[in-house]
Amino acid sequence: MKWLALVSLAVLTILPFFAPQSVVYLLGLTFIFVVYVVSWDLIAGYAGQINLGHTVFIGIGAYTTALLQNPERLGITIPHLPIWVTIILGGLMAVAFGFAIGAICLRLKGYYLALVTAILPLICIQLLNVYSDVFGGYEGFSIGFESSLASSLIAEYYISLIFMLICIVAIVYVVKSPLGIKLKAIREDEELAEAVGVDVVKYKLIAFCLSAFFAGLAGAVMVHYRITVGPDLFDIPLMLMIILAAVIGGLGTIYGPIVGAFLIYLAKNYIFVWIVQKLSLNVSDEIFLYILLIIIILKSPEGMFEKVRRMFS
Amino acid sequence: MLEVLIYGIIIGSIWALVSSGFSLVFGVARILNFAHGIFFVLGAYFAILLYPYLGFFSIIPAILLVGAFGWIVYRFLISPIKQYEVMVILITLALALLVKEILLAIFKDISQSYPSLVSGLVTIAGVPVPTNRLVILGIAIVVIICLDLFIRRTKVGKFIMATSQDMEASMLVGIDVEWVYSVTMMISAILASLAGILYAQIYAVNPATAFRVLIYAFAIVILGGLGSVRGSIIASFIIGFIQVAISMFYEPRWAEIAALATIIFILIVRPKGLFGVE
Repeated sequence: MKWLALVSLAVLTILPFFAPQSVVYLLGLTFIFVVYVVSWDLIAGYAGQINLGHTVFIGIGAYTTALLQNPERLGITIPHLPIWVTIILGGLMAVAFGFAIGAICLRLKGYYLALVTAILPLICIQLLNVYSDVFGGYEGFSIGFESSLASSLIAEYYISLIFMLICIVAIVYVVKSPLGIKLKAIREDEELAEAVGVDVVKYKLIAFCLSAFFAGLAGAVMVHYRITVGPDLFDIPLMLMIILAAVIGGLGTIYGPIVGAFLIYLAKNYIFVWIVQKLSLNVSDEIFLYILLIIIILKSPEGMFEKVRRMFS
Repeated sequence: MLEVLIYGIIIGSIWALVSSGFSLVFGVARILNFAHGIFFVLGAYFAILLYPYLGFFSIIPAILLVGAFGWIVYRFLISPIKQYEVMVILITLALALLVKEILLAIFKDISQSYPSLVSGLVTIAGVPVPTNRLVILGIAIVVIICLDLFIRRTKVGKFIMATSQDMEASMLVGIDVEWVYSVTMMISAILASLAGILYAQIYAVNPATAFRVLIYAFAIVILGGLGSVRGSIIASFIIGFIQVAISMFYEPRWAEIAALATIIFILIVRPKGLFGVE
């Protein structure tokens, strides 16, 4: 397992020197997608809280940094901030929002979080369109080349790779810490955890805010990587892709969802697009994601990775 | 003001059909069905497709088709994974998106309406109301009363009640719980599809309506109390008034945002909803 991870990391490190530009660009996007998935796994897999609005954090992080880089859209003048400052502010903005939603929904047991978070992306997109002169509506807007992550694609690729590694290490550290053990206890039996003295609401909220922070950061990094911001970062298809990646890898395993994220992101951008073109279907390639998710849930509701691992051990 | 009241009751009665089915399935089988909006939209599309051949009789095969679809969804998608609660939510959400994409591919992103059952205009206390909307209100109310009678008076209805109260005890006395769940899902689908057809006469449906409906359905069930059918019916009218008031005095696109605000407000003030049980 460890060797496999090191070998793939070594391959990813030297890849930009011989892979075509389009592959390098797409891999850079994939690294950020990995952070979306792993941060979702922290709250959904570890703490067992079904957050269907993870994309809201991504979108808030993304629009925060995009607007701070282009303050004239907000009609305010602020001194120009370096991008790493606005990226962190994007993460913090997502935390603030996550805290508000979490404080309302997480103190309630049961399905409230799923119901509320499921409709948040729809409402956010509605708001983006209502205030389209600020947020750019359906199209989104370009933040300008001077705000890109780095001046060359290869540099952007490495920043994205390092960003992913830092986030993974941080999240693994969280789940291995006493906090992670408490979260697992909450997932397995909320009432029992409460009975042995775990402040359930507090730890759920901490996990929710941490998850929001990483998602917000990743959303912000994504904006600077591709220089555009748009409602697709909020939208449900992206949410489903995150879920699919985590479910394929197995919820609550962190490493599984990393593998799942690579598989799904690359499959979507190469295989699914290719199938749609070959068969000249007039449907969105996302349709395959949904079919795949339904099949995988039916075949192995406990996660594919878990199944594979059990087969080998 | 009276306008808001009249139009609010009419749209509220449609939401009552949507949310009572959603509540029923949750109350009986503990299934959060994110594909509920799909039943709504499919009902409208089937009726629109069959209208050229059958006229207004197209309503009947349309709701039966959606009912059968609801049965199939339960049997083949939900039943096998029912013990994994998270997966039930995810699979119904995936199904909803899948059907939405298929509808988009077939019907494109164009809003379509179903022809009005009757034409004409009546004036109620100085407010002109299309006769058709009153017919819609009448149909919805009759169906809701029938649902209530069905659940409380018939044998199948009593099976449903028994299962919702204690699933294991019901199995012990010989009720086929799986069958009850399938029937409940079918009833829920039929109610939603009828609501979709009625809605398509007043407004119009497009594939994305499936998700807009979910916003209202969630707001209603949280306001009424998760799992309480009567609570959802009353909450439907409240949400109907809010929606009409905002559409009339402000802007229709704020209506959904108001629905979310209602949810947040209820969760802060009274999380179990108006009529919810702990």
